Amino acid sequence: MPDSRAATVEFDHVTKRYDRAPEAEGAPGAVEDLSLAVPAGRICVLVGPSGCGKTTSLRMVNRLIDPTRGRVLIDGVDVASRDLVELRRGIGYVIQQVGLFPHQTIGENVATVPRLLGWPAGRRRERAEELLTLVGLDPAAYRDRYPAELSGGERQRIGVARALAADPPILLMDEPFGAVDPIVRERLQNELLRLQETLAKTILFVTHDIDEAIKMGDLVAVMATGGHLLQYGPPAEILARPASPFVAQFVGTDRGLKRLSLARVAELPLRPAITARPGDPAGPARERILADPFPYLLLVDDLDRPIGWLDQRTLPAEGALTAASAIPMSPLFDRRTTLKDALSMLLGADVQAGVLVDRDRRTRGIVTAGMVADWFRANAGGELAATVGAMDRSAAAAVRA
Amino acid sequence: MIDWGWLADHVPALLYRTGQHLYLAAIAVAVGLAISLALGVLAARHRRLVLPFTFVADLVYTIPSIALFAALVVVVGLSVLTAEVPLVLYTLVILFRNVVAGFDAVPPDVRDAADAMSYSGTARLVRVELPLAVPLIAAGVRVAAVSTIGLVTISALLGDAFGGLGFFIFEGARRGFATEIYAGAIPTILLALAADRLFVRVQAWLTPWERRAQAEVVPG
Repeated sequence: MPDSRAATVEFDHVTKRYDRAPEAEGAPGAVEDLSLAVPAGRICVLVGPSGCGKTTSLRMVNRLIDPTRGRVLIDGVDVASRDLVELRRGIGYVIQQVGLFPHQTIGENVATVPRLLGWPAGRRRERAEELLTLVGLDPAAYRDRYPAELSGGERQRIGVARALAADPPILLMDEPFGAVDPIVRERLQNELLRLQETLAKTILFVTHDIDEAIKMGDLVAVMATGGHLLQYGPPAEILARPASPFVAQFVGTDRGLKRLSLARVAELPLRPAITARPGDPAGPARERILADPFPYLLLVDDLDRPIGWLDQRTLPAEGALTAASAIPMSPLFDRRTTLKDALSMLLGADVQAGVLVDRDRRTRGIVTAGMVADWFRANAGGELAATVGAMDRSAAAAVRA
Repeated sequence: MIDWGWLADHVPALLYRTGQHLYLAAIAVAVGLAISLALGVLAARHRRLVLPFTFVADLVYTIPSIALFAALVVVVGLSVLTAEVPLVLYTLVILFRNVVAGFDAVPPDVRDAADAMSYSGTARLVRVELPLAVPLIAAGVRVAAVSTIGLVTISALLGDAFGGLGFFIFEGARRGFATEIYAGAIPTILLALAADRLFVRVQAWLTPWERRAQAEVVPG
C-alpha cells in the first residue's frame, strides 16, 4: 500500500523553551518559532549541532515533549487534540540506543505495539516473522533470542522492525545509526532506503552528520543552536546555494566533494566484472582478464558471490584457479551507496575497485575510483573544474613568463 | 561433648521449632517485600519521597533489636505481631533500597521507547519496569531472608511461644547446656545458607534474559 497511508507532518510556529539555562551535552535543546512542512511519504532530515533542538522537535511530534507555543499538525490535525495512545500507535519511533526491552525475546519486542493493540497471538507471531524478514534477519534464528545476544547492527534492525510493526504512517528516527560502526551504518542506511522505496512512510530523521543528511533526505532542514531553522530544502539546493554563512560552514568547505553524497553507485555506468570460480582452468581465465583494461580477475563462488581478486600478472597459464592466492575482498557496494562513501572505501582498499552486489550479495559489476572521478568530472565538478582550470592557466602563465 | 540422647529425645521439638522459625521469617520477608514494593512504586513516581523513606528505614535499623522487641511488648502486648513488627521493620531498610535501586536500573531509553509505543503508566510499570527491577529486588530478598532468619532467634526473648530455633539457644544458655545451644544455632545457620541458595535460584529462574546475556560474554 504505497503512500496511501503516509501522512503529512507540519510544524506551525512551534517554540519550546526550557526554564533552566541550556546546559552541556545531552540536555534537550530549545526550539524557536519552527515552521516546516513535510510532505507525505518523504524523508525529512533534521540536521544540526548538538543542542540545536532537532531531537526536541522530533519528540514534539509524538508528544514525548509538548511545545511551549505553536502547533504540530499531522494530516492537518493538531497532535495536542489527539488521544495520546492512539496518536503514538500511529507513529513508529527509533532511537540511537534502540531501547529494546531486555527481558523480552526479539519476537515479543517486535510485536509490542500489536500486543498493545490486542492482536491475537497467532497474528502477532506472523507479523513478527514478516517484519524480521523485512529487515533481513532470519525469523527462525532470531525470534527466540534476547536483545543482549545481538550485535549493535542487529539490534538496530530490530528497532526498525518494532517501529514498523503496526504499519504506522509516520516514522520518527533519532540518530538511529549513530551507535554502529561506519560500515554497518552504511549498510543500514541502504536498507532503510530500500524499505522506503516500497513502504513510502513519512520519515523524520535526526542526525548531526551532514553526509548522512544529504544521503538520506528528500528534504534537509539545517538547524542552529538555539533552535533556529536556517534552511529547508532538497539536499542539492542546500549544497548549491547555502542560505547563510552558517549553513555554508556547517555543510563544509568541500561542498563540491559533498555532492558525491547526492549521487549513488546506481548512477554510474554498469561495468561487468571479469569473473571465474575456484577450480576453473587458469588458461582461459587468464586470456579473458588480459583482454580487459582492469588488471584483476574477480573470483566468485557458485552463487556469484565475490571471494577475492586475482592479479593478472600472477595468474598461472595452466592448472586450476584457487582461492588461496586471492587478494581479500575489497568493499562491497549496494546500488544505494553514495559515491562519497564508495570513494572513501575505495581509497583504503588494496585493490582500488569495489564490487556492486545485490541483496543476496551476488556480483553485479565493479566500481573503480576512476569511474567515480569520471562521474565527478561530468556532473558535479563544475566549480572544482573551474578552479583547477584557473590554476592551470595561472601556472601556464607563470611558465610563459 | 554433644549429648546425643538429648537430641534423640527432642526430634519432634526441633522439627516444630524449625517450622516456627521458617514461618516467622517467611511472613516477615513477605510483608516487608509487599510494603517495600508499594513504597518503592510510590517513590519511583515521586522521587522526592526517596530520601525521607530511606532516612526513616535507616533510623529504624539503628534501634537495637532487643530494645525494639521489649518496647513492643509494652505497646501491643504479646502476640505474633509483637515478633513480626520488628522483623518486618528490619527487612525494610534492605528491601526498600533495593526496590528503588531496581527501578533506577531500568535504562532511560527503555522507558522512553515504552512511552513512545503508547504504554500507559501502569502497564509500563508492570510489564517493563518491574521485570527489569527483578534482579536487584531478588538480591534484596535474598539478603533480607538471610538476616531475618538470624534475627528470628532474638524473638525468643518474648517467651517460649516465639523464637523458632532461638528458643533452644536461649534455654541452652540459661541452663549452661552446650548441646541445646548447638541444636538451635547450627540449624539456624543451615536455614540461612539454604535460603541464600534458594533465592539465587529463584532470581535466575525469574530472569532468563540475564543468564543468556552472561553466557554471551564467555569467550569462544
